[in-house]
Amino acid sequence: MKLLEIEGLVTELASDGQWLRAVNQVSLAVNRGETFCLVGESGSGKSVTALSVMGLLPEERHRHPAGRIRLHDDVPGRPAGEVVDLLGADATTMEKVRGGRIGMIFQEPMTSLNPVLTIGEQLDEVLQLHQPDLTDEGREARILSALEEVRMPDPAKRIREFPHRLSGGQRQRVMIAMALICEPALLIADEPTTALDVTVQAEILELMRELQTRRGMGMLFITHDFGVVAQIADTVGVMRRGELVECGPVAEVLRQPRHDYTRSLIAALPERLPREARPMARRATTSPLIELRDLEVYFPVRQGFMRRVVDHFKAVDGVSLSVAAGEVLALVGESGCGKTTLGRALLRLIEPTAGSIRLEGQDITTLPPRAMRPLRRRMQVVFQDPGSSLNPRLPIVTTLIEPMRVHGIGRDDDERRARAAELLAKVEMPTDSLWRYPHEFSGGQRQRLAIARALVLEPRFILCDEITSALDVSVQAGILRLLRRLVDEEGLGMLFITHNMGVVEYLADRMAVMHAGRVVESGPTAKVLRAPQEDYTRSLLAAVPRLDGALAIA
Amino acid sequence: MTEPLFSQPPAQAGADSQGRPPHQPLPDPVAEERQAAADRRSQPWSRQVLSALLRRTGARIGLVWISLLVLVATFAPFIANSHPLYLVVDGQASSPLLTNLAGEDWIWLVGFLSGVVLLNLSGRFWLRLSSWLILLGLTTLLTHFFVSPPVLTIHEQYRELEASGGIERIVRAPIPYSAKDYLRDYGDTGIEAPLAADDRRHWLGTEENGADVAARMIHASRIALGIGFIATGIALLIGTLIGGLMGYFSGVVDIIGMRLVEIFEAIPTLFLLLTFVAFFGRSIYMMMIIIGITSWSGYARYVRAEFLKLREQDFVQAAVACGLPLWSILFRHMLPNGLAPLLVAASFGVASAILAEATLSFLGLGLVDDPSWGQMLNQAVQSSTFNWWLAVFPGGAIFLTVFAYNLIGEALRDAVDPHTRRAGGGRA
Repeated sequence: MKLLEIEGLVTELASDGQWLRAVNQVSLAVNRGETFCLVGESGSGKSVTALSVMGLLPEERHRHPAGRIRLHDDVPGRPAGEVVDLLGADATTMEKVRGGRIGMIFQEPMTSLNPVLTIGEQLDEVLQLHQPDLTDEGREARILSALEEVRMPDPAKRIREFPHRLSGGQRQRVMIAMALICEPALLIADEPTTALDVTVQAEILELMRELQTRRGMGMLFITHDFGVVAQIADTVGVMRRGELVECGPVAEVLRQPRHDYTRSLIAALPERLPREARPMARRATTSPLIELRDLEVYFPVRQGFMRRVVDHFKAVDGVSLSVAAGEVLALVGESGCGKTTLGRALLRLIEPTAGSIRLEGQDITTLPPRAMRPLRRRMQVVFQDPGSSLNPRLPIVTTLIEPMRVHGIGRDDDERRARAAELLAKVEMPTDSLWRYPHEFSGGQRQRLAIARALVLEPRFILCDEITSALDVSVQAGILRLLRRLVDEEGLGMLFITHNMGVVEYLADRMAVMHAGRVVESGPTAKVLRAPQEDYTRSLLAAVPRLDGALAIA
Repeated sequence: MTEPLFSQPPAQAGADSQGRPPHQPLPDPVAEERQAAADRRSQPWSRQVLSALLRRTGARIGLVWISLLVLVATFAPFIANSHPLYLVVDGQASSPLLTNLAGEDWIWLVGFLSGVVLLNLSGRFWLRLSSWLILLGLTTLLTHFFVSPPVLTIHEQYRELEASGGIERIVRAPIPYSAKDYLRDYGDTGIEAPLAADDRRHWLGTEENGADVAARMIHASRIALGIGFIATGIALLIGTLIGGLMGYFSGVVDIIGMRLVEIFEAIPTLFLLLTFVAFFGRSIYMMMIIIGITSWSGYARYVRAEFLKLREQDFVQAAVACGLPLWSILFRHMLPNGLAPLLVAASFGVASAILAEATLSFLGLGLVDDPSWGQMLNQAVQSSTFNWWLAVFPGGAIFLTVFAYNLIGEALRDAVDPHTRRAGGGRA
């Protein structure tokens, strides 16, 4: 039975005085009790489609030259059995539809709740709006049961708490409760688990699936992750540049994709990337490039008037690791486990509290900054966020040349410029990127440039801190291949921090699993992934949504 | 952002997020070669901000008024002067205007002309700015030693000569009165409404001592411009340095710096100025310095906040990881990224410095003989009658100048803020 019907939807957005087509001739239908997954890379128009349904696009800055969105559901204030056209509906009808008949969950749990209102007040507001005939007690009972339904621990207490007291997963539960409290017929979820850790993601997905079956709602689920699609979808639609290129039952689309784009997307998943034979000989002979022994990084917890140190937060609590030349060590863990802190301490960007760091046999734990400077040439870093990894005010050429000048590489600027151009070719970027500014590049291109900046100093060791987690799969695939080639051909040592098991599988020779500041398990990648020894590793691996696993069950 | 599979064609400026052309062709290696050969460079940030600024009507109005003021201030002696530009007496040609140019006039002229030349030259902005400042310093030194106009100037002599018929040819400035020409030769001159006298033409009237208001206002524009720029320049310099150190090092440096900021914020600028004027006499340079060293705290706060934020940014951490020296991290990687709020605050700061000087002069504590807009306002209310021309013209000039700086500040804020520049930009 059809619930939401989108027919030939075209959405155009205003940008700098011209209209850009963000959604082009999209037709799809969501049935009751069914999950429709819209999947695509960023900029493919999947969110704009959802916002068009909700009527949430900025007024005056969007238009729909063609298409219809129809909701087959009774809207309060309208005659029963009437089909509502959402694009043509007036403001009062849309108010009733939003929140009342269609609920929505957004991606970022940190910003979708109002920080100055308690959880209870925010849920109460939705109820007051959509069910004004409920009494105060009736509303409170509904709020409690809604929070219980999303399995919020201790709901009676949580009602009076503010969003900042809740973890990301709990906030997303509140968001789900808020979206579902008026028992909508359709739930739109826009990447609801992207910002969450895998274990939390697994719980939230399970919860959503369960609530959906219990209530028989339709669900429009937007994601970029094929693992999630395999786990939750009944029907899947693949979007590319505003068009729905392929649509069908999930098992069919994922097993035998008909469209080339779907095929290339699935092939770009890191666990599906073909692996080449690696030269193993080099590693055996070399001693470790970087060696950490019992490294500890504590942050003081200060309290009171004089800011006395009352306690220490143990971000990194006795970690020993080593990375050899020509080897990739993956450091895996959930957010907050201290993996990023470990990386920064290793580069001496944060001062370690105790333990030792050895770079090619030399102890650098307590070297003063001045003595550290010449050594920095040997260890470089690439950061996570492509938006901030390059100085936005400097052209790429300055960013690349300056470190060379400081470290005395190349005789003059012409020679350095030539070297920079060579490096750009190595990271597969056009030479005229030299004269451009970071904002002119896409996320993937910026990460390539950041890698070029790291390579400029001919380092022996590179730290990569989640460098692909903000990127689309196809872009990620390109970067992963590039990294692997650099390690194999130039014999670099690399510590790759990530939370993506697929990436680990493709890239890493060895892996270490980190939890609460400690390394709980480490060993060769294949061994740890296939036969994890520790409970934590096992639960972490089980939570990862996988295309192959889900398909095998389905 | 859409990216074609595995290939990385160069993105076009301004076409990110939603702005991608719907079907980008895969990169053609030959075309790429050609592109590289053409060596296309894209616009630096400063250029972009400037063009965004110039697109705004408010900024244009403000800039037009300020440039008009700069022109008037630079060529003040040629616009309003009792000394004729060209004079032939007894067959002898001379230019009393040029021989009577003071050191200050030369500094303004050299500063303006070299500024125009340097602006049109290519090269690093900092290099050009510092060479301009060095040139100004040199000119100041040179004029101090070599330019010595006659100490005693008798403005009336040309009018008397002309009346006696001894002049063969004379070319006067458009307003033939100096700022300090009190027209003693006319006898009982005093305060006069515009165009009141038949034998002399005073477009904006005269003030209580008989000097031409238009001439005084033109010469006073120098003080308004000078005090705004120099006082704000001093404040910016101190504020950036202290704020930058506080933001980068944080910890103890930050605590000490913030206390210093609080101490300076507790000093009431106007009363400090009054005290200094009472003790050390009146000097425009002292005023500039005092306004400068009491108003840096705001800039320091801005810079500190920006630096605290920037310090955590990946590109700054990467600069540290590259082993770059501290000055480069602070001034090349952090400062240009934290400059935007500073520029906006500075343009408002210039306006408030002008107002401070006007206030002081209005209170009768400004300069003694030198013209200033605030001092003229004071004269408007001092005599027994209300002299409207002494209130309207200088008051209007103060108003317009402050308004122009505020307009520029407002437009600059919009221009540097990407949210207002591209409202409703992109949503994936």
